[in-house]
Amino acid sequence: MPTLTAPLSPAAGTDRATVAEAGLHLEISGLTKRFGQFTALREIDLAIREGEFVCFLGPSGCGKTTLLRAIAGLAPQSAGRIIQRGRDISRLPPQARDFGIVFQSYALFPNLTVFDNVAYGLRNRRDDRAWIRARVAELLALVDLAGSEAKYPAALSGGQQQRVALARALATEPGLLLLDEPLSALDARVRVHLRGQIKALQARLGVTTIMVTHDQEEALAMADRIVVMNHGTIEQVGTPAEIYRRPASAFVAEFIGSMNFLEVRPDGAHALRLGRRRLDCPAHDCAGDSRARLAIRPEAVKLCAANEGLSARVEHVEFLGAFLRVGLTLTETGQALVADIAVRDAEALGLAPGASLGVLLPSEALRLYPGREARA
Amino acid sequence: MRGAFVMHGARWLSGEALVRLLVLLAALALLVVGLLFPLASMLVKSLQDRAGDFVGLANFARYVQTPALVGSIVNSLTVALTSTALVVGLAFLCAYGITRTCMPGKRLFRMLAVLPILAPSLLPAISLVYLFGNQGWFREVLMGQSIYGPIGIVLGMCFWIFPHALMILTTALSTSDARLYEAAEALGTPKWRSFLTITLPGARYGLISCAFVVFTLAITDFGVPKIIGGQFSVLATDVYRQVVGQQNFQMGAVVSVILLLPALASFVVDRWIQRRQVAQLSARAVPWRPTPSPLRDWAFAGLCYAVGAAILLVIGTAIYASLVQFWPYNLSLTLEHYAFEMLAGGGWASWFNSLKLAFSVALIGTLVIFFNAWLIEKSDGYRVLRQGLHFLAMLPMAVPGMVLGLAYIFFFNQAGNPLNWLYGTLAILVLNTLVHFYTVCHLTSVTALKQLDPEFEAVGASLKVPFWVTFRRVTLPVSLPAVLDISVYLFVNAMTTVSAVVFLYTSDTRLASVAVMHLDEAGYFASAAAMAVLIFFTSLAVKLAHAALSHLLLTRAQAWRQAG
Ligand SMILES: Nc1ncnc2c1ncn2[C@@H]1O[C@H](COP(=O)(O)OP(=O)(O)O)[C@@H](O)[C@H]1O
Ligand SMILES: [Mg+2]
Repeated sequence: MPTLTAPLSPAAGTDRATVAEAGLHLEISGLTKRFGQFTALREIDLAIREGEFVCFLGPSGCGKTTLLRAIAGLAPQSAGRIIQRGRDISRLPPQARDFGIVFQSYALFPNLTVFDNVAYGLRNRRDDRAWIRARVAELLALVDLAGSEAKYPAALSGGQQQRVALARALATEPGLLLLDEPLSALDARVRVHLRGQIKALQARLGVTTIMVTHDQEEALAMADRIVVMNHGTIEQVGTPAEIYRRPASAFVAEFIGSMNFLEVRPDGAHALRLGRRRLDCPAHDCAGDSRARLAIRPEAVKLCAANEGLSARVEHVEFLGAFLRVGLTLTETGQALVADIAVRDAEALGLAPGASLGVLLPSEALRLYPGREARA
Repeated sequence: MRGAFVMHGARWLSGEALVRLLVLLAALALLVVGLLFPLASMLVKSLQDRAGDFVGLANFARYVQTPALVGSIVNSLTVALTSTALVVGLAFLCAYGITRTCMPGKRLFRMLAVLPILAPSLLPAISLVYLFGNQGWFREVLMGQSIYGPIGIVLGMCFWIFPHALMILTTALSTSDARLYEAAEALGTPKWRSFLTITLPGARYGLISCAFVVFTLAITDFGVPKIIGGQFSVLATDVYRQVVGQQNFQMGAVVSVILLLPALASFVVDRWIQRRQVAQLSARAVPWRPTPSPLRDWAFAGLCYAVGAAILLVIGTAIYASLVQFWPYNLSLTLEHYAFEMLAGGGWASWFNSLKLAFSVALIGTLVIFFNAWLIEKSDGYRVLRQGLHFLAMLPMAVPGMVLGLAYIFFFNQAGNPLNWLYGTLAILVLNTLVHFYTVCHLTSVTALKQLDPEFEAVGASLKVPFWVTFRRVTLPVSLPAVLDISVYLFVNAMTTVSAVVFLYTSDTRLASVAVMHLDEAGYFASAAAMAVLIFFTSLAVKLAHAALSHLLLTRAQAWRQAG
């Protein structure tokens, strides 16, 4: 889990300025997909820039694959428009759209060699065999599989199969690359390695890429921008840093990274009450509500001597290598709270189960979301 | 450049969608013309008088008032139920021997048990006459009863239906879960209780399904009662007698409608069971392996070998009878019964016709049925059309051959039918046979296709490869074992079937199986046996060629199937 130690700054994400200046590759508006009575996607609006690496992130069943398939034309939308490079492709079948796709299962053709798999889309373009051979060799070199032409997919490892699928999708030089959970079938070590490889490849080719994943770590590590989805709608679109630091909803806050939630009462637009204690916090829009949920990341919670801050009792301490995870109970309200503390700081505090100490909740790290009943 | 390609792509694509639609519509037309229209004509015919005027249920009323006809219902039910009880019981024991014991020679027995399928159902009937008839060697075993009648029919049915029942029950019994038996053993459950509480319930859907399949085959079969039924009439022979003997097409239609009912009922039940059974399978089941137990193993081996010996006896009798001068008086060997030219039945030409039919059906049928199954299973869009097609593809299983054949007469022989020219050609026999055996092939195709990655077609589309190229380069090669199974199934059935085609041949298109019947009717019993034996060996040769070819293909495909 990435820990953000850098101070919060409003300029976060401006390093993507180059991407922002490029034109739009894909504009989706009002896209809805129904399966009978069930609405899998509801009024999706989304713009994707040229050359961007976008991740669709969300829990299983939230509609990521459905959105990807709608973009590909494999499962046409019930309503809404999709515009690719200024061309309305909403009604076009997959064959007439410009994309390459890698499926979760890879769907390599088992009876064809690696060469024939990669060349599958090239054959009907040009008859020049020498050109096809050179192109396949080039693609296989690109995915680090030079010389595997004659093998059959069954003879390859999962990671190698995945890269063959990638080479096959890239063979026809599509303007848009679609990846549906490309890494989920692989074991953890291979996954981390391939993550870097795919990202580097994408940067090198500059191909606009959409990757579906339910793994937040993968999305944070790879994406230029993340589209967080839930129940067929988009919860938030933003750079990994934006999503992590300023989750737009309690769902996003909870889904990405670890997050503490505390029941509080809003007190004006810039403050809240936690038990009897009044705390300042950044501007929020729950001022009118009687209840709200305060969110703070474990690494933002600061511990101090018992005479400062909110008094709390240490319940348990977990050693996680670079830091300690401390489980606390707030004395006044009895609410549970988790804090991640650097090992060095912990020694100074003398952490042990049962110890009493103080908790500081820095106001700039606080975010307020509507209470559960107010959200309905 | 890219723009130009995409424009080109868009136009070519709508072409592709159009092709897909057209092929689906062609499949629909095939099943509507080859199945629905004929059946509808038959229903209409059953409600008309000879002049073609509508008479409501008058024909049915007349049927009910004719004791000779109504009696056939009871006869058919008696024979079918007896055969069902015998076949299911015997097949269950043999299947148990194969799957749950360590009896020796399982492979040999399974090979023997397939043999009856390769012969027309006329063959066991002919053999039984030789064995138990007036000149038969084992006449005394019947203790004065005649083989011509229910006894002969039941024995003949048992012979050629047995392989079907054995296949279903072997499948049902081989899906066992060892964990259940281990738990039972750990609790000290006696073996017979494990059998009653685990084995039987586990196989119950297979048993019920098997009983219905056997019952349908028994009640609709024509070949066995035709040869050995004597004065004992059943529904299938009534249809034939009404139409061919008395030229009473209306009554033929009425009997057909009645024959359709039990078949339809068992079709509905079977579908219902198939749906239930899916939910029962657990992916975590551990297959159960039998441990040797000499007494049990040899008991089951004895039973299975007895069955195998009976099968060999029946086939061997037909072969021997076709080779001796004059049973039972002059047993010197001769090939003269294979000189069919002088006799009734069309001679060797009918065998060539059967070969032509079988090869055509195997080739055309396999391609058409597999390609249709692929379109139905793997297209998106045209949902209603695809579901309708799937239903139509399941329907032929519920239509007895006699009924389908008669229905073809009514539909294709109608004055004013633009397809009238088909009547009397080999083409109509091909169409009829293809439709008759459509369902099993369709189900085999669907099962094979469901095992393929569902995204193959999507990958092809994303790479802008037309769908038929992906079908040819990937789907077909990967499904080749299933495709070969279908083609050999169609070949053997086209070679052996009598029931549907008996109404549709002409003197130019007479088939070997029909010739067997005619030779028998004309009293050339040895030549009838010879023709039946010829059919048997033709099917056997094709079956062996199929086994060799499958083996070859699998070895060649080993490279990609099992690598790594
Ligand atoms: N072909 C379909 N028919 C009916 N429901 C579907 C179909 N495909 C997906 N769904 C439903 O739509 C929802 C979203 O599915 P999907 O997009 O696959 O989720 P994920 O985000 O895990 O990729 C799920 O609830 C799923 O059950
Ligand atoms: Mg998915």
